[in-house]
Amino acid sequence: MIKVRDGDLERLGLLFERYKRPLYGFFYGMNKDQELSEDLIQNTFLRVLRYRHLFRGEGDFRTWLFHIARNVRHDHFRKEKIKTKDPLENWEHQLGHSENRYQEMEQDETQMTLSLAMDRLAPDKREVLLLSKYQEKKYKEIGEILGCSEGAVKVKVFRALQELKTVFEQLEKQR
Amino acid sequence: MEKNRMEELVEKYNEGLADPSEISELEKLIENGQVAFTSLKNLSTLEDMLTNSKDPVPSIELDARFYSMLKKESGKMKSSSFSWQWLIGNTFVPRLAFALTLLFIGFLGGYWLSKPQEKSEVASLTREVSDLKEMVMLSLLEKESATDRLKAVSLSNEMDNASKKVTAALLQTLNEDLNVNVRLAALDALRPYTRDSQVREELIRSITIQDSPLVQVALAELMVALQEKKSVKELEKLLKDEQTPKEIKERIQESIQTLI
Repeated sequence: MIKVRDGDLERLGLLFERYKRPLYGFFYGMNKDQELSEDLIQNTFLRVLRYRHLFRGEGDFRTWLFHIARNVRHDHFRKEKIKTKDPLENWEHQLGHSENRYQEMEQDETQMTLSLAMDRLAPDKREVLLLSKYQEKKYKEIGEILGCSEGAVKVKVFRALQELKTVFEQLEKQR
Repeated sequence: MEKNRMEELVEKYNEGLADPSEISELEKLIENGQVAFTSLKNLSTLEDMLTNSKDPVPSIELDARFYSMLKKESGKMKSSSFSWQWLIGNTFVPRLAFALTLLFIGFLGGYWLSKPQEKSEVASLTREVSDLKEMVMLSLLEKESATDRLKAVSLSNEMDNASKKVTAALLQTLNEDLNVNVRLAALDALRPYTRDSQVREELIRSITIQDSPLVQVALAELMVALQEKKSVKELEKLLKDEQTPKEIKERIQESIQTLI
């Protein structure tokens, strides 16, 4: 990233290749919308380019990237909130892209139940669990992204996991 | 908190028997880092499942869109070579500015400090070169080869202000050199120093010393050019000399007439 910051923009391609999947996993996990998730990735990297001079190189690039990603997503939904949406449209949005849903059905049932349980969590809980996954359980770095202490992140993850466990068990019983 | 109580809380939680107050107690322990998720078996299994779950894959379109965006942005950057964002954000620029300022101050300081020294150094070098030329010239004049002696004479032409040593050497060459060409060259080299009365007197004295008619005529012509009336006596001596060729006597006579 330091080379990108100093003007070697072509190097951004390497960072894109390395982080496009974790970013997609994060966005898709939050929105269940393939097209929107890809738009948000594009916007995230565009913002990385525009604000590359702000990268000091002191911290982890992944943390900085996810910080931007989270802001990009927030900005998107803040704009979307202004436009009042039809409730049915919202439902379609929640269902997500059919192609990806089909892929998920091919996965084993436990994974599918877990994915469904994640979808039923409140966005803030889902977000902290996705960040935990894609930040490889580095709670201090997640704290930097969310603007709270490492201890607070651990409590957030604990609560989110507890709720996930409850929903997961309910879905397993229904199966 | 006692270790036993912590273990008890973790055990109760893992068995699903912990009440809300015990869960909040556990939260505090997690926050302080006293209890790790790994000890909470059910939760850590779920977290591992989540971590190991398959990642959704973006479409190929994403790559195409990204690389076209990158190309566009790179093009923008190349077209506008100056960017305030880059100027402010890049740490290289202030460093470069600092380095250039230091370099400039260094040059300025160096220039002022070395100026007088430089002048004296140049003067000393010029003096050294001049001394060296003089030495070379004097040593060349002693050579057997007439060419070398001619070189020596021509070397004196390159000197801005020849010392008395050089003029004396040139006068000696004019009077004593065996080669007529060398003597003529020495006479020619002495022209710039004819303002010196001592050189003029020596030139007048040289008229009768010369046995070569060519040098005699050249000296006579020089005397005319210098309007040196003192030379008439010496020139008349040549007229009286039987060995002086007739044609030369005529030329000298002309010179005497001009001088009188």
